[in-house]
Amino acid sequence: MRSSHRTLFQALALSLCISASALAVPPEGPARLLSASHEAYASAMLSGGPGKDGIPAIDSPHFSDAASANGFLDPQDIVFGVFHQGQARAYPQRILVWHEIVNDSLGADGLSITYCPLTATAVGFKRGATSLGVSGKLLNSNVVMYDRASDSHWSQIAGVAIDGPAKGRSLEEVRVVWTTWARWQARHPQTQVLTRATGALRNYNRDPYGSYLPLQGYYADPGVMFPVMHQDSRLPTKRMILGFRTGRVAIAVDRAHLREQAVLSYRHGDEHFLIIRDEQLDTGWVYRSATPIELDPASLRFTAEGPQAAELEGLEPLNAFDAMWFAWYAFYPQTVLLDGSPQP
Amino acid sequence: MARPNPDKLLIGGLAVLYALLYLYAIGDLDIARAGWNWQALDWQWQRLWARRGPWYFEAVAMLELGVLVLLISPANLVLAGLLTLLLALNLHGALALRANARCSLSQGAASSAGLWPALLAGGACCAPSLLLVLGIPGLGAFVGLFAWLLPLSLLLLVLSRCWQRRRGAPRVLRLL
Repeated sequence: MRSSHRTLFQALALSLCISASALAVPPEGPARLLSASHEAYASAMLSGGPGKDGIPAIDSPHFSDAASANGFLDPQDIVFGVFHQGQARAYPQRILVWHEIVNDSLGADGLSITYCPLTATAVGFKRGATSLGVSGKLLNSNVVMYDRASDSHWSQIAGVAIDGPAKGRSLEEVRVVWTTWARWQARHPQTQVLTRATGALRNYNRDPYGSYLPLQGYYADPGVMFPVMHQDSRLPTKRMILGFRTGRVAIAVDRAHLREQAVLSYRHGDEHFLIIRDEQLDTGWVYRSATPIELDPASLRFTAEGPQAAELEGLEPLNAFDAMWFAWYAFYPQTVLLDGSPQP
Repeated sequence: MARPNPDKLLIGGLAVLYALLYLYAIGDLDIARAGWNWQALDWQWQRLWARRGPWYFEAVAMLELGVLVLLISPANLVLAGLLTLLLALNLHGALALRANARCSLSQGAASSAGLWPALLAGGACCAPSLLLVLGIPGLGAFVGLFAWLLPLSLLLLVLSRCWQRRRGAPRVLRLL
């Protein structure tokens, strides 16, 4: 009898643990296109060198105002900008290159701002009550994160858990703008800026991978250091694209091509996409509709929230992020590439 | 027969140079744009052995001296000191044997081969940087093996020192 009670208690405790773990994992995001099974992704993971948390996430971020940040940041320094629930924050690339994840909170939301230097991808995720850490593993040269509630592995670019209790679950994304400090500050003068009080000691004046201004080191080298699942030569490996995906299609817009346009339209099946160039931030914003979208570029104006125009009301904004071409293609070999070439 | 007396200044200079190179390779010593600053983390014992990677530990303080940045990690300094001591012993033995004409220059160089894995091990903390220096695409698949470089280096240095002693290299400080 005692034995059966013990078994019952053990089962109850186990189910409570599983429930708690399930509740604590990040909130579910929309279904997105995947080019391989979760199992295939999990088996393609490999060590990136440092172990789990060897690259320490920032769990207690501190922020300064823009004026104070000017002492540390140059106008051309890259920052990852987030505007969420009426609050603007800038995360300097010089800091994130050493940490890759900031577990932050904006408004009522717990957010993880993530950056992978090897693929040049900065993506924000709603993390819920848990937080994300750097697993030390890579998938297609891209950072693999883990959540501290269930210890599941999450791919940053795919935005999905590839193994562990949360396997198959997708993350809800938050827009992160890859821009420069001068551009972000011009758009968001009241922005807060992540400071170097990260809880770890690093030389934040040096990027261990190279530099973006001038373009040097890994960022300029055409070589890809870690194995990837798919390769393509239509663009140089490290060429920056703006990528977005739905449940049915992945689309990459060549950043150089986007700079020459005010707006770009693309139709895939019954999905209509509009990509709007934001000259001030040097980025793009993406919208989706079930019907063709007509927009007069002259009617566009840009605010802290992004592009504003009467024609955009009712459209669905899609998250987009910058990436090196090789990395985007490694995850989405079926991707559409908008680079000015005629589309089939 | 009088024992040969290897150039202590040369050995000391090379050992110090090696220690600096090792600290540079692991990123604890850097030449970069910096100010004049001193930072130390709140004292906690566990910070002393908080790992950044295999055989690579977190710093507890940082010193910025103009263009020089020094991350101070006691555990990394102990490892650097151990490697430097072993290197100095190997150099001492190699020079002594060479002076005694018992060992050729190439054998002397070979006896100090252990220092190269140690320098390479510096990159294990930040493998992509090392791979970039080596310029070998796809080598990342083997990055997990880098964790073995530092113990390999220590082993090679100890073995080569034992080999030198068997060949008749003199003790240093009557101990090693």
